[in-house]
This record gives sequence, structure tokens and C-alpha cells, in this order.
Amino acid sequence: MASAGVYLLGIFSVIIRVVLMNTHLPKWLRSRNEVVTPITSWENVEEGFSLQSQLVSPYTGDLFHETPLALRSLKIAHYFPYRVSGFFLFIDVLVMVFLYKIATAFVNYLLCNQEEEKKNYSLKAKSLILTGNYLAWLPLTIVGVHALNPFSIMTTLAASTAALTNLAVLIAFYNMILGNRFLSTLFLAVASYQSLYPIVFIVPVALHFYKKSCKSPPVSYTTKESVYSFTETLSIFGLFLGLLGGFSFLAERSWDFVFSTYGFILSVPDLTPNIGVFWYFFTEMFEHFRTLFVCVFQLNAVIYTLPLAIKFTEKPFFLLYVLIFITSIFKSYPSYGDTALYFSLLPLWSHVFPYMRNTLVVGGMYICSVVLAPILYHLWIFAGSANANFYFAITLVYSTAQIFLVTDIVFAYLRREYDLYHGTEHLNPDGTKARIKLD
Amino acid sequence: MAALDRAKDESDATPPSLGPASDQIWLDLNFHLTELSAGNALIDDEFNEELFIKPLQKGYVYSNFQFTTKWNATIHHTDTFRHYHLFPKALGEVLLKYGVQELHLSQTQGLWRHKQWGYPVHDAPPGAELWVWFKPSVSNVDKAWTDLANAVSGLFCSSLNFMDSKNIITPRWSFRPQGLASQAYAFRSYFMRYGTLPHEIVCTENLTPWRKLLPCDSNAGLSTLFNAFHFHDANYHSLGLHVRPVCANPECTEEAIELSQSLSIVTDVVSTSNTGAPHWSLKSLFGNHLVSACPIASKSVIIVETAEQQASLPYRLSPNPTLGKEILRGEEKHNYAVYDVRSFTQHGRVLNVAGTYEDVSRLIDDAVPPPIHAHRYITGYGLADGGITCLIHNTLPVNQSILYMDVVPWFTRVYFSSLEVTNKDHKVPFKVHYVPAKDRLRPHHLELAFMLWPHSTTRVSFNFTRAFLKWTEYPPDANHGFYISSAVISALLPSSLEYTGPSQGASELSTIFTENSTNFMTRIHTESLLVSLPTPDFSMPYNVICLACTVLAIAFGSMHNLTTRRFVKEDLSKKKGVIAKLKSFFSRKKKEETAKETEKLAADQGEAKSESESSPTASYDNSNAEEQS
Repeated sequence: MASAGVYLLGIFSVIIRVVLMNTHLPKWLRSRNEVVTPITSWENVEEGFSLQSQLVSPYTGDLFHETPLALRSLKIAHYFPYRVSGFFLFIDVLVMVFLYKIATAFVNYLLCNQEEEKKNYSLKAKSLILTGNYLAWLPLTIVGVHALNPFSIMTTLAASTAALTNLAVLIAFYNMILGNRFLSTLFLAVASYQSLYPIVFIVPVALHFYKKSCKSPPVSYTTKESVYSFTETLSIFGLFLGLLGGFSFLAERSWDFVFSTYGFILSVPDLTPNIGVFWYFFTEMFEHFRTLFVCVFQLNAVIYTLPLAIKFTEKPFFLLYVLIFITSIFKSYPSYGDTALYFSLLPLWSHVFPYMRNTLVVGGMYICSVVLAPILYHLWIFAGSANANFYFAITLVYSTAQIFLVTDIVFAYLRREYDLYHGTEHLNPDGTKARIKLD
Repeated sequence: MAALDRAKDESDATPPSLGPASDQIWLDLNFHLTELSAGNALIDDEFNEELFIKPLQKGYVYSNFQFTTKWNATIHHTDTFRHYHLFPKALGEVLLKYGVQELHLSQTQGLWRHKQWGYPVHDAPPGAELWVWFKPSVSNVDKAWTDLANAVSGLFCSSLNFMDSKNIITPRWSFRPQGLASQAYAFRSYFMRYGTLPHEIVCTENLTPWRKLLPCDSNAGLSTLFNAFHFHDANYHSLGLHVRPVCANPECTEEAIELSQSLSIVTDVVSTSNTGAPHWSLKSLFGNHLVSACPIASKSVIIVETAEQQASLPYRLSPNPTLGKEILRGEEKHNYAVYDVRSFTQHGRVLNVAGTYEDVSRLIDDAVPPPIHAHRYITGYGLADGGITCLIHNTLPVNQSILYMDVVPWFTRVYFSSLEVTNKDHKVPFKVHYVPAKDRLRPHHLELAFMLWPHSTTRVSFNFTRAFLKWTEYPPDANHGFYISSAVISALLPSSLEYTGPSQGASELSTIFTENSTNFMTRIHTESLLVSLPTPDFSMPYNVICLACTVLAIAFGSMHNLTTRRFVKEDLSKKKGVIAKLKSFFSRKKKEETAKETEKLAADQGEAKSESESSPTASYDNSNAEEQS
């Protein structure tokens, strides 16, 4: 059961959001490119509703990019108390509940996993062993981070539908810890159906469920059993995806939506500024190289899955987290909604924080870019005293900050692993202090 | 018979000549041809030229030339276009080749101000407008349109070829065939395409080819008044060309092809005259008198619409018109003074219709605004979001239903959900046809049907968000902005107030005197709009490509390092850091210097002593000693 602190934090976070909802902030945030993208903007969802009510397929236009099932199910937002704001507050509370559940389940997982692997640890790594007392704070931390995370608050206030994808990913994550393959793949399929990129998260899920199916820790991931297990997970996932696609087709009676949703994500026709690396690059790209670079940039968003999966075969949760992080940097229309997801999950790895190297620089970059982005956008679009390069520069800083953060976390994680197996004291044969480096 | 045919062919080939002697030949020829036409439908055509002048308020004068060629032949028959007489061959071939049933082209410079000037004979939006009904035999309408637009732009030296799928639509309600059409055309507009180019600039190069389609060119008749300098000095000028099938006779048993070419000018007489007086005359408007009528024209008239009966006019018309008419159109009285050019220019006389004010203070400046007029503008600020609002005024005491059509380019992405039609803060119910835009493919197409309440202003408004274009999609003057074409408002008015055109079925302006319609088909075009789009920096594509790729490379490099390498222990004492390396580098340099110095010293010593130990060894020993210490 949740402690009183968690409840208090939860209530506090709702109060913050309700108070802010009654200011002019939501209206402003709904037009901010950093917070909403053409895909996640609620204004575009409303446009879809109104076109649908005129019996015009929303997919004949170029404003609506939600999936057909989302188009039909999001209408419930209008029946919530306080309508759309109420709906997104509800989603936010759900996200918080699942974050809390993930945290508590993850604490158990960490301790169990440590128990299994403890025998291989170095005797000199005692200080690194996680204790129940240390981890007891994790659920509270994670809820606290979500409650106060400006990215989460902005996403909720702006009614960004990225929150829905985040919720689906979190439910999949939670069921993955619980070991429920059916629900985990189902929600992953929902998330992939909504925003395509979560499709790569199936790799850690498949690895995890194979690992779980083995009695003893698996020696190899290339055995017959493993291939069987992977195929099973993949086919369940494929089945769900197929069902979702099939239902969409039945609802829409045409495949037009594929081009308006996934085609829109993949071919990047809308060059509205956002915090990603795509928009200005493809604004300035020479037309005959466009296809090539679209392929390169899209591949870049998912290509890391392969080396990371090989490196972190045994650590599917960390792999999943890093993939969530990387896709949210390199997806074609990223927003603060994606940032909110990985920031809320960040405390899960608080035990590796001491090994991080450039938190100050990264923190500074984050703060600078978040503060400067709207200012430079204003100077460009409204004041006319700056040009596109200013905003582009700040989105580059933001992307770089994210890259530094994710590489730092991966580094810290690997470094801690090294220490676990080699002890915290690294001495040369002659007794002097040795340095650890990547080679 | 054969000789006559040859003569006819010759008449087609040679333009009408100038002098009075050759005019005589022309007239004779024409006489023969008209006689012949009774037996031969091929050359049964007729040409009329008319000039309509209407003094507007505040010293503006509206002049509308209208040249009508009516060819008693069916446009649907291929054989029709084998032999030409008065109908221009260049145009006929285009009509035949692309299966055109109706073609309406206007090229306009300036904005017609409905509120002050009433309605023109042919309303036209700023820039170019082309709308075409194709014959049902055309299988691929879009392709036919593209080819036709190219052909017509070649014919009129304009850039109509830029009317591609990005700015053409198929209006559903607002445009119906203006001439004879089969019943199917009344409900379906599949065979129709409508395109506009609001930024098209109309100049002399458009006037010349347009003028060349006239049977008399500008050698005789009203077209001798064409003076490019005066036209382009005017506040508004518009070239129109309309081809449509019409009834050949009142019973409508036979079809005819009607080509109507119109040229409208609004001249600000006060500011263009040297004296600042509002007097106007053909000479002051066009820089020339009229010396002749076009010899092949069966009718050549100048019609002056006067606000009141002649006796009470604030200006005096001279010379005295052939006849003055007071006509009741609907419930409104219209007064006209008609000049028959042919009778005035007989015997080498010249005609210079003029309006001279006796009392300059009595300039007409209290014109009643027409029943419906509109004002459209962009709302919002900044380069991100915006909106379009159109205020439509109804001065009639009755409800008036109208059709509103707006074509908005794809890069201003319209939010249909924000569409509102309001009247004094009350929502007006409307019927809507909306086709959303597709990026780089087709524009937004909005058509609304709603009621204007009596004596009220109705507001149509919707919001849009501006798209960010690729840097190659901007024109060279990117910060000039992008044009949005005029909205079209169509209505069937019960009042002929400020109405100038003839009824829809009529070909000539002079049919105004005989018609008795009570409904007046009005189509008005609003202002075209100019929106600025946010621009990228055009100067640094390479920098952007490099910087974005660098960020990707940072990620790729770091991830590559972390996933392919493993941690190893490193002895700090064996592997020096950068500072240690620098230190050792400098200390080595120092050593070398000291070594050199010692060498020098040793050499000096050697010189002094003439017998000594080998100096390098000594220095080496020294350095060794230093290192050990």
C-alpha cells in the first residue's frame, strides 16, 4: 500500500495541475511547438471530430494525424467533468498510479535480481549492494518527480495526446515487471499503433520474457528455445497490432489513415518547428537528397536497438528505458511529452547516478534550452528580430543535452556493473590507484 | 459560290484595313456574307461592339467595352471549327482540342470597390481567374485542364500554367454553366474546374493578344480607343473573355457560340486630369476620339448610364445622345443615354462623348451602396496562427440567401472546427461543403450557403495555422508574402440597384433595354489577401546540414563507444594524462636546452683547456642526475 507521503504528493500534484489549468497557461501551451506537435495537438483532434461530424474523412486533410481508433475513443474526453482538461488530468493521474506501481514492483525486481547475481559480485563491492531501506524511497521519489516535473505538467496542461502513448508504454512496462506477457504486448501494441516508434520496445520485452521462462539464468540467447520464445512474443505482439490495424480499417473502410498517420511520421512532410532534429534539417535539405536523409534519420532513431540489445541482453528493463529515451530524442515529431516519460522513469536508475559524469553540464543545457526556446521562437515568429537559426540552435542544444544524458546514464550503468564485479577499489599491482577507462 | 468561299477565306486571313476606301470593300463583303449565311450555317455569325460608361461617385468613371461575337453553330460539333469567319481561329482551335464547353477568363489589375462603385458588368478578382466547363466527352478532366491552362496562357501571354492542382478546385454550388448545358450539369460539377492566380500581374503583353482576337483588331471601331498607357494608369482594369453556348434564336431551337470579350476600366478623372476637374470625355479617358465604327459590327453603340434623367444631371452630356431611355429593371429605375457610333461618325466626323460639370460641387458622392458588398481581411498577428474574416453586408430590407466560396492555399492550414458564421453574435445556420487541403497537392475548398438577414452584417470567420515550407518552395521574394485568392459570393438579388450587367442569358449590353427580369444574378469577388509565412534562413543550408548531422554523430559515436568497448583498468603512472604529457614535453625541452648549454659550455671549456673529456657524456650524466633528483 502506498504510504501517506505518496498520497500527499499525488494530491499535491493534482492541485498544482488544477490551479495551473485555471490560468492562461494551458492556452499558451497548446500552441507551443515544444509541447505539442502536429501529431499530438488536441486542436487537431478537435479538427478531426468536426470533419467527421461533417461526414468528411479527417484523413482527406492534412491536419489530423491520430489513428482511427483514437479518433473514435478520444470523443469520451468531452464527457468528462471539465471536459478535455478533466480527461487529461485523469490520464495524468493514471500515469502517476502506474509510475508508482512500476516503482514498487521494480524495487522488488531489483532486489530479487541482485539476490540472484550476488554470488558473482566482487566482495569489494559491498557498498554498491542495494538495500531495501535505500530503495524504499524510490516510489515516493518517482511520484514526486512526476508531480513536480515541468515536462509532465506542461504535457497535461497542453492536452497533448502524447500522454496516451506514455500511459500505454507505462502499462506495458508495468506488466513486463509483473511478467504478464499478454498485457505487456497488448499495451505495447497500443503504444506502437498510436505512435509507431514503440514498436522497437518489443525487443527488450521479448528478451525479458525469454529470460523469465528459463529456470536458471539463460546461458545463450541463440538457442532453439530462445528463438521459440522470441517468435511467440513477436507473434502475440503482431497479432495485437494486426487486430488494431484491422479494426481501424473496419472503422474507416479504407487504408487512407496509414498515410496520414504512419506515413506522416515516416516521411516528415510537416516542417513545423519542434525540439527534434528533423524540421530544420529537412527545411534546408536539397530536394534530391531528401529521401536518402529521411531514411538515414529514421534509421538513426531505431538503429541503436541492435547494439544496445546485444550489450544489455541480460538487462531488458534498462534496455527498454534507453530505447524509450533514444526514440524520444530522434523521433520525427518529438515533444516535451516524450521528455516527460523518460524523466519520470529516470529515478528507477537512481542507484547509478553517483557514476554520472556531466550532470551539471546537462542540467544547465536542459534549463537553458527550455527557457530560451519560447523566447527565441517569439523573437523569430512574432518580434521578427531573430531568424530560424536561433530557434534551431536551441533545439540542437536540447537534443545534445538529451544525448549527453542518455549516454551518461548508459555509461554510469556500465561503470557500476564493472564495479559490482570488480570491486569499488581499483588498484594497480603496485598498489597505486588505477583508472578505469573504455578500451 | 467558290469565289465567295475564297473571298471569305481571304477575309479571315487579312485583318480589316484602315482607310475609308477599303472600308467600303469590307462592308460589301460583309453584306454578301450575311446574305449567304441564310443558306450556309458555317459562317452565320454576328459581331457587336458596345461601350458602357457609368460615372461613379467622387469623379470616378467606369467604362466597359464589350465585343460580342455570336456564331450560329454548335460548340459540340467538331465540324464547326473547320471554317472561321469572325470568330478567332486561335481560340476556336483551343476550344476544340481540349473539349471546352464554356470558358471564362479574367485578368485584372486592381480591386473593384463594390461599396463605392456598385457592380461591374463582369465581376473579376484581382489577378487572373479561369473557370472552364468541359464537354462530357472529356475523359480526364484534370489533364484537359492542365493542357488548356498551358494553351490559354500561351494565347494570352499570362502565367495561367501556374494554375495546377495546388490552386484549382471543382466548385460544387457557386458556379453553374452560364450558357446552354445539358441537365446533368445542373447538379454535378465534375466537368468544371476553377482556378485563380491572385498575384498575376496584368499588363500590355496581355492586352495585345486579347485585342488581336477582335475582328477589327484596333484598326477601327471602339477598339481604336485602346490605349495601354491610359489603361494601366487607371485605378482598375480588367480583361475578360467568355465563351459559352447560347440560344441562336428566342425559341432556342438552335445553338450558337458566343464569344464575349470585355475590358473594364475605372478611371479617377479628378486626379488624372490636369485641371483637377471631374469633367470626362472619351478623349480624357482614352486619349482619343472615336472616328469610326468597326465596319463588320452589326451594332456599335456607346451607352452611358446616368444616375438620373438627363435634365436633372449634375453634368451635361455632349453631344446629345441618339436616344435617352428610362428603364425599370426590377423595381429600380435606370437611365441610359445611347449613342449610335455609326451615325455619329458618318462623313468623317468624330465622336467624343463627354460629361461636363457645370457645378463641380455637385459631384455624385452620395451613391447608395449596392445590396450586397463584402470586406475580407486577415486576422491575428505573428507568423504562426491567423484567421480570415469576411464581413458581408446586406442593405436589403429582406433576407437574402447567398453562396460563399473560399479557396485557401494548403500552406495556410484551415481549422474547419473554427469556422463560424455569425450575425450580431448570433450563429447563422449554414450548409457547408468542405474539402480539406492536402499538403503540396490541393487547396482548402470551402463553400457555404446561408442567409443574410435584412440590414445586417454577417461575419464568416475561420482560423488557420501557417505551414513551414521547404526553403526551395519560397519564391525569390520570400518575405513579400503569399497571396490568397478572393472569396466569391454569389447571390440572386431581387433588386437591380447599382446593377449594370445584362441578364444572364443575354449576349449584349443593349438587351438591358428590352429585358424584363426581376432577379439579378450577382457574383462578387472580395479582396485577395496577402499572408506572410515564416521563412527559414536561406543562406546556410550547408551549415544546418552539418550541425544537425554533428548532433547525430555525437549520439552515434557515444553509443558506439559504450556498446562496443569494455572497461579496463589503466595504470595512471604508466599512462600519463594530458597535463603530465605536456609537463614532460616541456621538461624534455628544458633538458634539451640545458644539454645544449652544457655542450656549449663544454666546448668553451674545451677551447680553453684544449684537452678535455667528451662533453655529450658529461651533459648526459648531468641530465641523468637531474632526472634522478
